[in-house]
Amino acid sequence: MLLVPCPHCGPRNQSDLRLVGATVPRPDPNATTPEEWGDYLYLRDNPADWIEETWYCRAGCRRYFTLTRHQGTNEFRNPPMPGDKVGTATYTTISVGSSGSQPGANIEPHTTGGAS
Amino acid sequence: MAGIFRRNGAGDAPARYSAPQLARKGLTGEEWPRVWRDHEIKPAYDVIIIGGGVHGLATAYYLATNHGITNVAVLDKGYLGGGGSGRNTAIVRSNYLTPEGVAFYDRSLSLYNSMAADLNINVMFSERGHLTLAHTDSALRTMHWRAEVNKLQGIDSSVIDPDEVKKLAPSLDVSTHPRYPILGALYHPPGGIIRHDAVVWGYARGADHRGVHLHQKTEVLDILVEGGDGPGGKGAGGKVTGVRTNKGDISAPIVVNCTAGWGSLISNMAGVKLPINTHPLEAAVTEPVKVFLPTVVVSGSLHVYVSQTDRGELVFGASVDPLATYSMRGSLSFTEELAGHILELMPGISKMRLLRQWAGLCDMTPDYSPIMGFTPVEGHLTDVGWGTYGFKAGPVSGEQMAECIATNTTPKLIAPFALERFSTGQLVGEKGAAAVGH
Repeated sequence: MLLVPCPHCGPRNQSDLRLVGATVPRPDPNATTPEEWGDYLYLRDNPADWIEETWYCRAGCRRYFTLTRHQGTNEFRNPPMPGDKVGTATYTTISVGSSGSQPGANIEPHTTGGAS
Repeated sequence: MAGIFRRNGAGDAPARYSAPQLARKGLTGEEWPRVWRDHEIKPAYDVIIIGGGVHGLATAYYLATNHGITNVAVLDKGYLGGGGSGRNTAIVRSNYLTPEGVAFYDRSLSLYNSMAADLNINVMFSERGHLTLAHTDSALRTMHWRAEVNKLQGIDSSVIDPDEVKKLAPSLDVSTHPRYPILGALYHPPGGIIRHDAVVWGYARGADHRGVHLHQKTEVLDILVEGGDGPGGKGAGGKVTGVRTNKGDISAPIVVNCTAGWGSLISNMAGVKLPINTHPLEAAVTEPVKVFLPTVVVSGSLHVYVSQTDRGELVFGASVDPLATYSMRGSLSFTEELAGHILELMPGISKMRLLRQWAGLCDMTPDYSPIMGFTPVEGHLTDVGWGTYGFKAGPVSGEQMAECIATNTTPKLIAPFALERFSTGQLVGEKGAAAVGH
């Protein structure tokens, strides 16, 4: 089973998460052609290469976040850390312990191997 | 039998398999000629087919047989039948949900029925009946729906109760004890299993015999297109001029994409984007035991289907992995879930051991129906989007694609599966009958 690096819960079993898939901007339904609308509904990139996709951590933090995964090898690249800007949302963490330190500064970045 | 595959002069045409031939070869010790031959790659062909599986080879075979087009090359980056054609669970049936789907797969089933005689090869077709189990009221309702659609189209298909299920497959637990009790089943007597490798070899041999060139280990790196409105002259409005392979450029006015899981990568080379996601589907096989399971058993709710081969092994399959990926690594979670689900159906096989598991790539489309026929690039045709149901459609796809290429018009049977349906909204929703329906 794949270990998915959740930015909040750390590496978790794939069964704890749901792959939402790549998100694309929604065109204005009043000013679009049937082709554009069909592309928006159905067409996604399917490369044997790095892709950005949305995951939902359904059994853990129950948050949505974006990860970069290689569709050929299933490696994750630069998993985001708490406090990183992920997609359009900004996450903040509550820092515990020593005052003044940056949120997440004392946490080692976790990787699942592969290119960085 | 091993002698069939021995190299015996590249120039020999395949011999006809028959009892007198067998007797003669047995008495004289003479070797069988190769099943198909190797050729030098020609600089130009009339038609290039990418992908040497059931679909690609059947297309080549029917082009040569039905339409007399023999200047055809089939290119495969690996070996013939090494992709989905050799990884599926070899189940054939035609009890689909939509009238379009039913008509299409029924034609395929009739071609499978006469295949042994047509191709002069023993494909070991076993018409053993096909049971799709219903574990919930809503599933039972869908079974009734499917049965009525099937009957209307003249397909032998009916809903039966648990007692009849028990008679057909005594090893199934039809009691009310399981978490998902068996409430009934859709019974489809013409369904069955077939030897998938023999189907590939039969089409390859038939195509080769009629002059088609089969080039293995020939990987297509690019499709050459000119005049299109995309980058490099590709894309809509363009015209195919040939392909670039790891063995050099080959020119051809028609390039057909029959590459299943890799379909979107290949069509991208011509500037055609396909609404396909590639998911692996895992399967497994047990050690051989005495024959005890006379039918094919499918359970959509439990995500499992099982049949027993003539050798006695149980072949299991499941639904596709939820992750879109080109990786074909097996996973323990699959084995675990499979074992749990199959024991729910057949508690008696708990001591059987799995021999091996494997995965194949499925090119999933949004509506679980294929994408066949012409694309916005002239000369580039697709026969992809076959998801988890490609093998059973192989013969009819080949026949219809060959007609499409030879006549330059879309045959009626595959017209509903055109790429345009995703912008016109006329999807052919087969998820209810195809998602785990093997």
